[in-house]
Amino acid sequence: MSKIDIQNLSVTYEERGDLFTALSDVSFSVNDGEFVSVIGSSGCGKSTLLSVLEGLRTPTSGTVLIDGKPLTGTGLDRGVVFQQYSLFPWMTARGNVAFGIKQTRKGFTHKQRLEIADEYLEKVGLSEASNRYPSRLSGGMQQRVAIARALAMDTDILLMDEPFGAVDAKNRVILQELLLRLWQNEQKHKTVVFITHDIDEAIFLSDRVIMFTESPGTVSKDISVPFPRPRERAALLHSPDYADFRSNLTTLFFDTEAKIGETEEDWVVI
Amino acid sequence: MNIKKRFAKISHLLFVTVCLIHLIPNKTVKPDEFLYTLGFAVIVEIGLIAVCAAAKKPSTMNLPCDIAAFLYSLLIVWTLATSKFSLLKEMLFPPPGVVFKQLITDIPQLLPHIGSSLALVGKGYALALVIAVPLGLILGTAVRAGSAATYVSKFIGAIPPVVYIPYGIALLPSFRAVSVMVIFLASFWPILAATMSGVLYIEKRIVDSARVLNVGKFETLCKIILPASLPQIFTGMGQGLTVSFILLTSAEMIGARSGMGYYVKNYSDLGNYTRTIVGVLVIGIVISLVFFLFNKLQKFALRWR
Ligand SMILES: Nc1ncnc2c1ncn2[C@@H]1O[C@H](COP(=O)(O)OP(=O)(O)OP(=O)(O)O)[C@@H](O)[C@H]1O
Ligand SMILES: [Mg+2]
Repeated sequence: MSKIDIQNLSVTYEERGDLFTALSDVSFSVNDGEFVSVIGSSGCGKSTLLSVLEGLRTPTSGTVLIDGKPLTGTGLDRGVVFQQYSLFPWMTARGNVAFGIKQTRKGFTHKQRLEIADEYLEKVGLSEASNRYPSRLSGGMQQRVAIARALAMDTDILLMDEPFGAVDAKNRVILQELLLRLWQNEQKHKTVVFITHDIDEAIFLSDRVIMFTESPGTVSKDISVPFPRPRERAALLHSPDYADFRSNLTTLFFDTEAKIGETEEDWVVI
Repeated sequence: MNIKKRFAKISHLLFVTVCLIHLIPNKTVKPDEFLYTLGFAVIVEIGLIAVCAAAKKPSTMNLPCDIAAFLYSLLIVWTLATSKFSLLKEMLFPPPGVVFKQLITDIPQLLPHIGSSLALVGKGYALALVIAVPLGLILGTAVRAGSAATYVSKFIGAIPPVVYIPYGIALLPSFRAVSVMVIFLASFWPILAATMSGVLYIEKRIVDSARVLNVGKFETLCKIILPASLPQIFTGMGQGLTVSFILLTSAEMIGARSGMGYYVKNYSDLGNYTRTIVGVLVIGIVISLVFFLFNKLQKFALRWR
C-alpha cells in the first residue's frame, strides 16, 4: 500500500463567477519513505496540489488516501514547509520549533520541548540564533528554522512547497545538502513531497520526479531518478550519467510544455 | 567624542541667558520669585549635562538638547514678558517663578487630585480593554458577525462620547460612575475597531501555518490571533488612552468635586490663574508620564517586530 495515493484529483477555483481549473485529473502515488519531487512551471498548480495534501483545501473532485484512509483535513501526520516564510513572528526561533513539537509530540514538559528544539536548530546550524525573532533572521535562516520545525515535529510525511525558492543560489545549495543529509540520516525515512521548478534540485534530492503540464495542471511524466544513495553533490554533478539524465529531463520538460499528451518512450519514463 | 563636541551646544548658551536676564531689574516686585525660575533651570541643566556626559554617540544627545532649548526659550520669553517688562497682565499671566513656587507648595494638595483622576481613567480604560479585546478577537474571527460589527462600531464610535455625560448623570447614582462610564465608552470603540481590523488583516500564511499545526480553536485565539493582531490593538489602545484623558478632564470640569480637571476649573472660577496654570502644567506632566509608560509597554510587547 502506498503512503499517499492521489486519485483523479481536480481543483477548480471560482472567482467572481469565473471558473478556473487549476488541477485536472491528477493521479499518482508516493511510497512509504520515498522522496518525490513535483516539477512544473509557475502557475501550473503545484501549490494548489500541496494545499490539498496539507488539508487546507478540499478538492473539487477526486480523493487523496493517506495510509489507505481518505484525507479529511489538516493532520499531525504531515509536517509542512510553505513556499513563503511561515514562522510565527512573535516567537523566537526555538519558540517556533518548540511550538511545533508541542502540537505533534505529547508528553514532554516545556523545558524538554525547548531542549529538543535546540537540538534540531543545531542540526540546521542555527544554534547561536535560537533566541532571535524571525524578523532578525535572513530569509534563508528563517527557512532553516521552518525546516527544523517540520523535522522536529517528527511526522511520517513532509510536504515542502519550493522551500528554497526565495533563497540565493549559494544558500540554496547549502540548504539542499542539509535537507538531504538530515533525511538520509533518519532511521526511518520520511515520505516527502517536494515542490520545485528547479530541475537540478529535483534530481539531486529525489527518488522520483513528477512533471506537471501547465494550465490545467496534470501529471505528464513520472520518472525514476536512477542515482544511488547516499548521494554526494560534487560526485553526482561530475558523473557522465548525470549530464545525460539531466538533458533528457530538460528536453522532456520543454517538450511537455509544447505538446501535451504525446508519450515519449524513453529509458527514464515509466 | 571630544569635550567640544559633547558640550558645545546652543542649549547651554540659552541656560546662561536664562541666568543673565535676571540681572535686568524687575518691573514688578516679587522678592524670591526668580529663585524658583533659576532653580528649575538649574535642575534641567544638571539633567542635560548628565545626559551629555553619559551619551555614547552624538545622536542620543539631540532630543534632550532640543527639549532643554525649548524650555529655556520659553522661560526667557515668559520672564521677559512678565516680571521684566510687564508686557502681559500680571493677574492672567503670572511670572514663571510664581507658578513654580505655587506648584511646589501645592504638591500635597495636588497628589490626591492626581490619584482621583488616575483611578477614574484606570477603571474606565481597564474595563474597556478587558471587554473590547476579547470581543474584537471573537467578532473578527467570525466573518459575518465581524462585518456587521465593523459598521456598528463605525456608527457608534463616531458619536463624540461627551454627549453621553448628561444622560449618564440621569442614569447613574454618582458622578464618579458617570465619568467611568464615559471613559469606558470613549476607549471601548477605538480598541474594538482596531482589534477587529487587526484580526481581519492577519496574513493568510500565519493562519495556514496554525491550521496545518492543528492548533485548537481557543489556543489559536490566544496564541496566534491575539499576538498577530497585537500591533493594531496597541494602535487602538493608544487612541483609546488619548480620548480617555480628554473625557476625564471634560467630565471633571463639568461636575466633579476632585481630580485634576476639577482643580483647574475650580481655581479659574475663583480667578486664581497662577493655580490654573499649575493645574494645566500638572495635567500635561501626568499625561506625558502615562504615555511614556504606555510606549515602553508597547515597545516591550512588540519587541519581535
Ligand atoms: N485562491 C485562488 N483563487 C483563484 N485562483 C487561484 C487561487 N490560487 C491559485 N489560483 C490560480 O491557480 C493557478 C495555480 O496556482 P498555484 O499557486 O497552485 O501555482 P504554482 O504552480 O504553485 O505556481 P508557483 O510556481 O508560481 O508557485 C494559478 O493560475 C493561479 O492564478
Ligand atoms: Mg506555488
